[in-house]
Amino acid sequence: MVIDLDRCTGCRGCMEACKIENNTPQATFWMYVFRFEEGEYPGTKVWFMPRPCMHCDNAPCVKVCPVGARYKREDGIVATDWDRCIGCRYCEVACPYGVNTFNWTHPEEQYYLDWQDPGVASTTGGSVPPWSNPDLELPYGPEERRIAGGGRNKGVIEKCTFCVQRVEKGLDPACVVSCPVKALVFGDLDDPDSAASKLLASRHSFTLLEEVGTEPRVHYVGGHPPHSESKQVEAVEARV
Amino acid sequence: MAEQIATLPYGVGRASARWKLLVAFLAGIAILGWYGWYLEIRRGMIVTGLRNIGPMGGATWGFDVGFVVYWAGVSFAGITMAAVIRIAKLRQLRPIARMAEALTVVALILATFAIMYDLGQPFRGIINLFRYARPQSPFFGTFTLVISGYLFASAVYLYLDGRRDAAICARTPGRLQWFHRLWAAGYRDTPLERERHERAGFWLAVAIVPLLVTANATLGFVFGLQVGRPGWYSALQAPAFVLLAGVSGIGMLIGIAAVVRRTVADGERLSDDVFRWLGNALMFLLLGYLYFMVVELLTNVYTGSEREREVTAALLSGRYAWIYWGSVALFVIPLALLIVRYFRRGGGLATLVASGIMVNLAAIGKRFLIVVPSQTHGTLLPYGTGSYVPTWVEWAEMAGLFAFGALLLALFAKLFPIMPIGERDDA
Repeated sequence: MVIDLDRCTGCRGCMEACKIENNTPQATFWMYVFRFEEGEYPGTKVWFMPRPCMHCDNAPCVKVCPVGARYKREDGIVATDWDRCIGCRYCEVACPYGVNTFNWTHPEEQYYLDWQDPGVASTTGGSVPPWSNPDLELPYGPEERRIAGGGRNKGVIEKCTFCVQRVEKGLDPACVVSCPVKALVFGDLDDPDSAASKLLASRHSFTLLEEVGTEPRVHYVGGHPPHSESKQVEAVEARV
Repeated sequence: MAEQIATLPYGVGRASARWKLLVAFLAGIAILGWYGWYLEIRRGMIVTGLRNIGPMGGATWGFDVGFVVYWAGVSFAGITMAAVIRIAKLRQLRPIARMAEALTVVALILATFAIMYDLGQPFRGIINLFRYARPQSPFFGTFTLVISGYLFASAVYLYLDGRRDAAICARTPGRLQWFHRLWAAGYRDTPLERERHERAGFWLAVAIVPLLVTANATLGFVFGLQVGRPGWYSALQAPAFVLLAGVSGIGMLIGIAAVVRRTVADGERLSDDVFRWLGNALMFLLLGYLYFMVVELLTNVYTGSEREREVTAALLSGRYAWIYWGSVALFVIPLALLIVRYFRRGGGLATLVASGIMVNLAAIGKRFLIVVPSQTHGTLLPYGTGSYVPTWVEWAEMAGLFAFGALLLALFAKLFPIMPIGERDDA
């Protein structure tokens, strides 16, 4: 994935699209958009940086997983097998990007609305929407492992899957298709003719935290990495 | 029959009212801890104060992991003492060997519980950790070397070392005779058997010492190999873990030995010599650990990256300063007391026991500081600082583990001689 920081307007639409597509519980953001402020008034500059999982080639989370629930697929996606995860959260402490989210309780207790509530049920007609998307339950890849979607189980770790359930159908991830300014470009970086490769070749680029040697597969063009002067503003209050 | 039971040494088989009261009290706290775990299993880990690192602004490892490391550390001293006594032939320390071995086994059982408390899917963990074991994960060492290898080796050592005493106890008829017979398993204390046990024990001790150093080092690697967590990534982690393990373990052993001396009949076998030796061992380990702390601090302050300095600042003058300086004080005060003891060649047992308790509190503080601040104050992307406050469930679980450990030791002392019987005449 290549992210064009010159285009991003910080609307956080990708965060919302991710939540809806992957049905993640409350306070869980697989995609996160930083809003940064730099400089002294009146010379301040505001800029935005979407942060999905970096799907690193040298992923520290894959290395530390004691049961191989976190693994790197042939196509480069770093996946989490939620049937196998034991919930030790070692991947979460190992990841320098803070992309992992744990299911602290039964996910159905942690959605934004109580669908069983009579007031809500009168509007929804009693239907219980998100976690019924059958695509999220299916096994994927030659390994046939269940890796899609959020909020599948209590006590397991989950994170951005690059919407594997869409990618396997030849579709782009939800964050990419929902971006109103096409700041996110998804494609095969090993294929020089892909749109992502072309964008990457045409501009100066960087990856996040290059110094820790994780070899991320998410590249940024335009802008610069956050530094000590980059102060986060309007942080999402995600504590429950 | 009562008279016959009374002949078992060190109060084995005889429970006083005070002992029963103590056991009931400890069982109550242990059950409260397990109730906390039940809540965790039923509702999920949302009942703890842990939360995600990053946008959620939390620490995902807290009390549970800190106490895994702490208990594994405490286990260190027990079997080391037993092994050193055997290898270095420190005859005068023999009375303490059995309780040291028991402490190791108990502490490792508690560490295993703490791991289970930490897993989001504990029962899946029991199966998957074996079924899908990956040696590439630093956790592999925790489960294989620490829990399986070390616990098993220590249990075998305790068993073999106790077989002679079991055979002696089994001569006394009573309610516990079947247990002692089972333990003795046909051992009759012939010279050949004794020689064989001595040899097996010696080589087991030789094998266990490197095992426990490696085991505690792998716990250090769990943190020390993580380049993405400022404050963790350090070659010092592994050896520092081994040293702090020794400090907390010897400290705990001093406390247990003092209790045995006070409460068990013939407890005076634990002479001042034994305590002096333990005090000196604690002093040298403390000196070593403080040296490591200073080296680590200097490195972080002098050359640490921006985020590393942020974590260090949180320790020295920020949110965690009271724990950090409290721990330092609880290391330095006992060290001063022990140094005075060392040169005066005297000093009361009370100061020694106080030192043991202080270094254990400090070790708990240090374990907490290794685990938590690097998560709340060490995010490499600018998420802002997080926080972690343990809930009553976590406090109950940890208090429950302490109580359960004490309960196991109290029961053991009534089932089996807590000190080897008599002087060995095979030296």
